[in-house]
Amino acid sequence: MKLAAVLLVLAVLPLLGPPAYYLYLFSTAYQFATLATAWSLLAYGGQVSFGQAAFFGLGAYGAALASLHGASLWLTISLGAALAGAGGAAVGLAAGRLNGAALALATLATAELLRGVALNWTALTGGGSGLVGIPSIPSLPGIPLELGGRRVGAYHLSLATLAAALTISAVVLRSRAGLALAALREGETRGALLGLRPVPWKVLAFALSGVATGLAGAVYAHTLGAVEPDVVFGRVFSIAPLVMATLGGRSLLGPAAAAVALYLVSELVFHPLAPALHQLPYALALIAVTLIRPAWRRIP
Amino acid sequence: MSLTTLLQALVSGALVGCLYALIAAGFSLVLSVSRGLNLAHGELVVLGGYAGYAAWLLLGVHPLLLLPLAALATLPLGLVWDRLTARLAPPVELWSCVLTFGLSLLLQSAMTGFWSGEYRLLASPALGHGVALGGVALSHARLAAALVALAAVGALALGLRRARWGRAIRATSLDRDAASLLGIDVERATRLAFVLAFGLAGGAGLLFATIHYLYPAAGSELTLLAITLAIWAGIGRMRALLFGGVALGVVEALTVAVAGTGWREPALALLLLASLLARGGALAREFGRRS
Repeated sequence: MKLAAVLLVLAVLPLLGPPAYYLYLFSTAYQFATLATAWSLLAYGGQVSFGQAAFFGLGAYGAALASLHGASLWLTISLGAALAGAGGAAVGLAAGRLNGAALALATLATAELLRGVALNWTALTGGGSGLVGIPSIPSLPGIPLELGGRRVGAYHLSLATLAAALTISAVVLRSRAGLALAALREGETRGALLGLRPVPWKVLAFALSGVATGLAGAVYAHTLGAVEPDVVFGRVFSIAPLVMATLGGRSLLGPAAAAVALYLVSELVFHPLAPALHQLPYALALIAVTLIRPAWRRIP
Repeated sequence: MSLTTLLQALVSGALVGCLYALIAAGFSLVLSVSRGLNLAHGELVVLGGYAGYAAWLLLGVHPLLLLPLAALATLPLGLVWDRLTARLAPPVELWSCVLTFGLSLLLQSAMTGFWSGEYRLLASPALGHGVALGGVALSHARLAAALVALAAVGALALGLRRARWGRAIRATSLDRDAASLLGIDVERATRLAFVLAFGLAGGAGLLFATIHYLYPAAGSELTLLAITLAIWAGIGRMRALLFGGVALGVVEALTVAVAGTGWREPALALLLLASLLARGGALAREFGRRS
């Protein structure tokens, strides 16, 4: 209920008429918050992903390709999310054989692999220069155009994506699946001895995390109007959710809140100081969170 | 593909493979003593390359004379990494990945800030020529890199087998507690292994810079490569590492010859993924045995 109220307040904020840049900034912040929420769904089951960029990129490219072939907005976003979900399920199958560091490395390699394929499969993906001309998101009906122009639609859709990710997370954690994932996290062998089959639950967690991440990727593609392999499959989209979710702690809203805060600090404080070093806050936060080890740290 | 192209790919791949073995040797040394996976290893190699490149611009001497300098540039970081790794919570394998993922990003940012994103090659005229063997061209740079790398891996293997410090490192990596009970200063052996590995990485970076363009993100594929080789060879087996390096170099060169340069990185990522799926369990067991 509290969550719904927060989301509602955020949804009416554009009516105050902030500059379009801030709407863009917050849309991206919500996309990162979605990524962080999707990452912590995996972490809840004890699985650490270093390659969320794989799902983000799949979502972005899925939506971009669909829209350039004339699909409508809802279809492109669903297709992007479905593609990322399928990718997630595939990684989840692989995760059935791997654990801990090996799984983390496998997800990292998956993101690198997809980046390389997107760079080289020029006929489909446009190669290194990517795809441009992806249509932007129209405003909700009834919102006057002078309010932030074409940024309002992106703002609302990004917020809706975040709401979807939080809902998926909340539903999963309260269901049988959440129990199974917690059991896997606390001790996979013990769980297996009690008759818990790990693979289906891992596949489910990865598929859902992929869907949520892919949703954000698809909305990103429409927000920016362009996708590039080195960006959407880039390391930032793997590192950022990892950092944000570990900073955010174990609660449902923590990762999302930390994501918004960290992204805003990075964009509003670090970016003006040194544009080349915009990844620095993520690097420093990641190192700090590993070394300081507060009680609320996330990774099992 | 003609026979000459094939031979050329085999030979130059094998030469570069020796350098890969050297890079992986440092990674695997750190892994063996600390159980930490250093995902910033490739960035250290690139950092050594940049240091060598800067020194070469400044001094203008033969690049191989700058090897100690490049090694010295990264060596002190070994002490920092050693301290940071010692503070990690268990499981060290996983947390070291998280830590060094951050450190690799930090190094990349620092290198971007320092040298910008441009591509640079240490194209010394001293290594600019080559020899031709029946249609197969061997550049001096590649030959020199391979020879120096072979010598370094050989010396490391010999040191680890025979020297007192080498035995201390091996004992520490086999069983830390037992080594400590036998009076080996395991802290010192770990520190030494880190420093040694980082020095080797810096030196390898200089060699890398003579045959490959440097840019801040060039290290990530070297890290993937080092992990792949560590999986193939197991921990602390230098000869297997060398064979693995050569095999990887050849596979890479053949990929480039058949599919083009662009497919090099995805091929490396695919190899790592396949190796993890095939042998990731083995790596985990190795850790389990040691914990």
